[in-house]
Amino acid sequence: MRPAPATVRRLILVLMLVLWELVPRAGLLPELFLPSLLKTLDVLVRNWAEYGHALTVTLYEVVLAMLIACGAGILIGAMVGGLSRVRQLLLPVFSSLYAVPIVILYPIFTAWLGVGSQSKIAFAGIYGFFPVMLSTAAGIQSIDQNFLVAARSMGASLPQQITRVVIPASMPTVLAGLRLGGALALIGVVVSEMLTAAAGIGYLISKYRTVLDSPRVFAAILMILVLSVLFDALARSVERRALAWQTAGRRDRQLPVDKETYASTALPA
Amino acid sequence: MQRVANLSELRAKEAQAAAIEVAELSHVYLGREGKVPALEDISLDVGAGRFVVIVGPSGCGKTSLLMMMAGLRRPSSGTILCAGRSIDVPDPDRVGVVFQEASLFPWLTALENIEFPLSIRRAPRLERRRRADAMLDLVGLPGFGARYPHELSGGMKQRVSIARGLVQDPPVLLMDEPFAALDEQTRMTMGHELLRIWSQTNKTVVFVTHSLTEAVYLADEVLVMSPRPGRIIDRVEVTLPRPRTYEMMATDVFGRLRERIWQKIRKVN
Repeated sequence: MRPAPATVRRLILVLMLVLWELVPRAGLLPELFLPSLLKTLDVLVRNWAEYGHALTVTLYEVVLAMLIACGAGILIGAMVGGLSRVRQLLLPVFSSLYAVPIVILYPIFTAWLGVGSQSKIAFAGIYGFFPVMLSTAAGIQSIDQNFLVAARSMGASLPQQITRVVIPASMPTVLAGLRLGGALALIGVVVSEMLTAAAGIGYLISKYRTVLDSPRVFAAILMILVLSVLFDALARSVERRALAWQTAGRRDRQLPVDKETYASTALPA
Repeated sequence: MQRVANLSELRAKEAQAAAIEVAELSHVYLGREGKVPALEDISLDVGAGRFVVIVGPSGCGKTSLLMMMAGLRRPSSGTILCAGRSIDVPDPDRVGVVFQEASLFPWLTALENIEFPLSIRRAPRLERRRRADAMLDLVGLPGFGARYPHELSGGMKQRVSIARGLVQDPPVLLMDEPFAALDEQTRMTMGHELLRIWSQTNKTVVFVTHSLTEAVYLADEVLVMSPRPGRIIDRVEVTLPRPRTYEMMATDVFGRLRERIWQKIRKVN
C-alpha cells in the first residue's frame, strides 16, 4: 500500500529541517550562507526581547492591513460584481492596476505617511485589496441567476436575496480571495519593512543582512515562515468550516444505490 | 335540503372555477433589432384541480408565459388572474414554482431547501420542520432530509424541488420543464410520481415541456403553442382515463393524440 500524501508531506518537511541542521554542521555550507537550525533557534531565543517586539509590530501592521484589504475588497468587489454600471466603470481600471507592481508606490507612501507603521499598513492593505476585490466581484457576478429567480418565486425580498442567496453562493470564491489577499498583505508588510522601516521583522532581516549576521537574519526568516504557515492553516480551516456543505458525505457516505435503479425500485412508485 | 343542494352545487361550481385566468396577454421585449413580439394574444383558463401541459417549439415563449403566471415577469399587456386576483409579484401562498434543474441551493440540505420558503416568511422553526418533513414523505424521500443536493440523484433533486414548491400549500403548482435534464427512465418514473402527488394533493398544475409523450401522459389538456410570437394554436383534451398507466402509452388513443399535437407543431414550423 502507498503511504498517504499527508504522511509524505510531513516526511518531506522533517527531512528538510534535518538537512537544515546537518548540512551546515557537516561543513558543507559556511555559516554565512546557512546557519544551522539549532543555532538559528538559539539566536531567536536569546534575543527574544528584540524579536518579540518586532513580532508585535509586524502582527499589528498585518492585522490592520488585512482588515483594510478584506473590508474594502469585499465592499468594492460586491459593488463591482453586483452593479453593472459600477462594473463597467471600475473593473477595467482595477484589472489593469492589478498588473502594476504596487511596490513602486511604497516610496510615495513613506513620504506621505512616514517610516512608521502607517505606510506599511497602507501599502500592504492596497496590495492585498486587489485579489479580494477581484474575486469578490467574480464570485458575485457568476452567481447562477436561477438561484435568484427561485428565491424570488418563493417570496424573498431583495435584502433576503442578498443574505440568503448572494452571500452563501459567492462564499467559495470570496474566501479563496480572502486567503490570497491575506497572504499578500503579509508579504506587503514584510517587504515594506525591509525597504524603509525602523521596526518589525522585515526590518530585522534587512538590518542584520547588511552586517552579514546570518543567524539573526535566519531567525527573522524563520518567524515569517511560521507566521505565514499559521495564517494559511487558519484560512484553510475557516474555509473548511464555512464550506462544509461542499464536501459533505464525500468521505463517509455514498449514494444509497445506483441512481436509476434507485428511483425506479427502492422508492414507492 | 334545498340549501344543502345549493351548497354542494356551489362547491361543484367552485371546483370548476378557473384557478388561473389569462386574458388577451401579449408580450414584446426589446432585442438587439428593436421590438420582438414574444407572446401574442394569449387567453386561457385553467380549471381548479386540472393538469394542463403547454408544449411548443423552443423559443416560443412557453417558459415566459409560465414565469408571468408566477408573477416573476410582467407581460406588456393583458391580465393574469390567479385564484381570482391578479398576480403582479410572486406569491408562494398562491403559486408554487418548480424549475428545470439546479435551482436547489447547494449550500442547504434537502430539508433546509424545502424549508426555505417558510423561513423567508419567518415561520416558527418547529412548524417549518414539521411541514418540510411531511413534504419529504409526500415526495417519497423520507430520511433524506440531511443530504445536500450534490448527494442526491437527478430524480431525487427534482423530488425535493417539488416538495419545496408545495411546502406553502399553494393551490397552483407551475412547473418549467422539471424533468428535462433527467434520463428517459427516471423521467418516466418521475412523471408517474408527479401524477401520484397531484392526485393526493388536488393541486392545479401547469406544466411546460417539449416532450409530447410526457405531455399526453400527464395532461388533462394540452395547449400547443406556435413558434415566436407564441400563440395558442390548439387545445387537445386528453381523454385517457385516470389513473394513467405506462401501458396506455402503447394504445391507439395515446398515439393519435400525440400525432395530432405533432402535426400541429410540424405544420407551423
